Amino acid sequence: MAFTFKRQIFGFMDLLRFKKMVPKRREKLAEGSSAPLPKTYRVNETAKILHPGYQSAKLTRIEQNTADTKTYTFETEHPFYFRAGQYVTLGCKVGESEVSRPYAISSAPKAALGRRVSLTVKKCGFFSGYLFDEAKVGDVFTLGDPSGDFCHEPVKDAEQLVGLAGGSGVTPFYSMAQAIADGTMDCALTLFYGAKTEAELIFKKELDALVSEKFKVVYVLSDEEKAGYEHGFIGADLIKKYVSGDFTAMLCGPAAMYAFADKELASLGLPLRRIKKEANCVGVRDIPPQTYTLTVHIGFDTYTVPADARETVLTALERAGLKVPAKCRAGGCGFCHSKLVSGSFLVAGADKRRIADKKFGYIHPCCSYPDSDMELIVPKA
Amino acid sequence: MRKYDAVVIGAGNGGLVAAIRLLQGGAKTLLVEKHNLPGGFATSFRRGRFEFEASLHELNDFGTADNAGDVRELFDGLGVTDKIEWTQIPEAYRVIARAEKLDATMPFGVQAFIDKMEGYVPGSRPSVEKFFDLAEEIRLAQAYSSSVNGKTDSKYMVSHYGNFVRCGSYSVNEVLDSLKMPKKARDILNAYWCYLGAHCDDLSFLHYASMVNRYIKRGASMPKGRSHEISLALTERIRELGGDVLFNTEAVKLLTDEKDGGIAGVVLDDGTRIETRHVVANCAPHLVFGKMMDKVPEAEVRAANARKFSGRGFTMFLGLDADADELGVENHNYFLYDTADSVAQYGRMRTIAENEVQATVCLNRAYPECSPKGTCMLYFTTLYMSDDWGNVKAEDYYKTKDFVANKMIDRFEQDTGAKLRGHIEEISVATPMTYARYCGHPQGVIYGYESQYWDGLMPRLQMMGEDHKVRGLRFAGGYAMRLSGYSSAYFSGDISGRQTVGDIKREG
Repeated sequence: MAFTFKRQIFGFMDLLRFKKMVPKRREKLAEGSSAPLPKTYRVNETAKILHPGYQSAKLTRIEQNTADTKTYTFETEHPFYFRAGQYVTLGCKVGESEVSRPYAISSAPKAALGRRVSLTVKKCGFFSGYLFDEAKVGDVFTLGDPSGDFCHEPVKDAEQLVGLAGGSGVTPFYSMAQAIADGTMDCALTLFYGAKTEAELIFKKELDALVSEKFKVVYVLSDEEKAGYEHGFIGADLIKKYVSGDFTAMLCGPAAMYAFADKELASLGLPLRRIKKEANCVGVRDIPPQTYTLTVHIGFDTYTVPADARETVLTALERAGLKVPAKCRAGGCGFCHSKLVSGSFLVAGADKRRIADKKFGYIHPCCSYPDSDMELIVPKA
Repeated sequence: MRKYDAVVIGAGNGGLVAAIRLLQGGAKTLLVEKHNLPGGFATSFRRGRFEFEASLHELNDFGTADNAGDVRELFDGLGVTDKIEWTQIPEAYRVIARAEKLDATMPFGVQAFIDKMEGYVPGSRPSVEKFFDLAEEIRLAQAYSSSVNGKTDSKYMVSHYGNFVRCGSYSVNEVLDSLKMPKKARDILNAYWCYLGAHCDDLSFLHYASMVNRYIKRGASMPKGRSHEISLALTERIRELGGDVLFNTEAVKLLTDEKDGGIAGVVLDDGTRIETRHVVANCAPHLVFGKMMDKVPEAEVRAANARKFSGRGFTMFLGLDADADELGVENHNYFLYDTADSVAQYGRMRTIAENEVQATVCLNRAYPECSPKGTCMLYFTTLYMSDDWGNVKAEDYYKTKDFVANKMIDRFEQDTGAKLRGHIEEISVATPMTYARYCGHPQGVIYGYESQYWDGLMPRLQMMGEDHKVRGLRFAGGYAMRLSGYSSAYFSGDISGRQTVGDIKREG
């Protein structure tokens, strides 16, 4: 060593000081209060409102909006909060299956603080069919965490939103329109709402009542020509007719609407950062029927369940009555992240897994179709 | 009842390593984690066409195969080094401090660092050389201490590592003052302080010098698949060694033995009871002693109450639709301060309104292919030195997030000249609430207990034995004896895992 470190006048004092560190800390630790440690903390309590996790929700009201659409209102176990445009999963046991589906929230964020939340459901499949035909006031369901990024993000989005809604895709925009009206959201929204006929428009009365400086709605009917309504599909010309300046486009509707709108928005020269699209649930794939066997480890237990190659791995797990994590059902949120021990599979659509997930064999069962027998380690729900 | 030799609670960096060490020591081990992913903060997430690193700025002391650092040696021992693809960080840091009009970019490599410093601050060379001499002696002394499991011979220490002992009780500022380092050189050298979260009057010199040395001597590394790749590699190794891993599973209670008050079991969130006499808790003692045990020794309550929570984390992630050159983002990592005076700066980091500090990383500068061509990713981190986020109500939460995010973007643009606005394709923001949600830490703390003057690295290491008061209960992670940070957390898991193996063996 080239030099000798010294701070005190006499070097031995530096040594003494070093020796005192342990007794000093010992003393400090013993001087701490004997009052019980907190059970929780303010930040952690707020986090529970923002992310309540699974909670029970009692159905308090069912309202028929159109021939094939109903709005279900629930009283939730806990107060919670979300960003207008987000979805939650709604689930319960149907027969022997544990089923849940993501639905955009149609009520305002503020209402959730008062433990009230509404989901608007179109009758189109297994679970929505169950809700339509079986659910009644007083039934208790399981609600998931508010999720998704189909929201206005003021830091990066334009101050003007252009909503493109198809059919029941209007639900998140209805929540946004309420949030704009009550001051929760600070932006303008012009909503283009497409449906086949006037009778199929959900929330028309409610949306009309919310129209203001900041919120406009343009109804676009494809199968009807009527005064006061635009006719056709939501395209570039229509957007240009009602909107000028910088805007962020938000799309929520069926795949066919996206295919059409993609081309129209491209013609407007919108960059990726100006387009948001709500993902749709992965459906069945069109292949000949084939049954595989899944060996599934959950917790300390192992189950053997059949899987239809046309359906996702998640659907097979749910059909078998296994309680497994499910959220977006579109491969993107990662909530169902599971370890593949063996077997082959096909990812529906774009593969949204992390780089290392692919490397170490993790899959998202909600967007994976089985192509062989498979063995999986799935976290419990 | 299911029976394990040991249960590890929490699959954070410390817990993952502890589990491997237990399994390597022959212990039947269960690892439980309340989140659905391993790693704790060491993870990543997808947004659009980007995969963001959740927390790792750069892993220090890893080095290369022929210049291996301690972390690489640890990973070699765990059997995970080759499971991970690494990339090297190009330069140490760029520090910008407004009050001092400081703007310096520092390289890796001790000689290069000293030379560059001499360029910025003529005459600084002797004191900076002394700094690295001390730092190297600290490294050697720590290696000796580890080799004897902390039971150091004080005469041997004084005779072989005299400077280590003589500077060991002082703060960063006290030692640099004694080394007569010019102020500007101190300002540049102290830039890393926010990585440890205590200001330089409080921060132990041993701790700081040791960390700076670990960065500068061997450079820094980054896994290409983000820190998620490390976490999955460690998890893979646990399974290879026959360990059981349960995700989405929270340990809610520790059962204690009526006779000695030691560990008798663990209760999981679904009511499952696990019989075990050994727990490594990769979480805050505040949680374990606050809500997981019925009978807590008073000394543990007093000790926890005596300690101070360190910074609460905040990170903004941006995915940009232009590359770093186009945006004018020149460097890999930046420290932006109001002032290089860490004491004054620490004071200004208490409130949401005042805090403007950021440690910002552009991963593309280390790994250009980490995002699609024509794009880049940046993440901006700061710490809050009080519980100010506890004052934010749920209904004000998103606006508060945006307020801080906008400040961070403005500050970065002003201080570096880069242009980010108009190119933000994806944004995600993690706040203390986010860290509280995913990792359960009180108040969203990300650095464990603060490295206060009296509670620094050295006395914690020296008191490892007496801090272990409840039989069968040891801690790993940022709250433990090595303090916070990736490498420290890995080492804490290594220590507690190996010590628990020893405990098990002694029980026979």
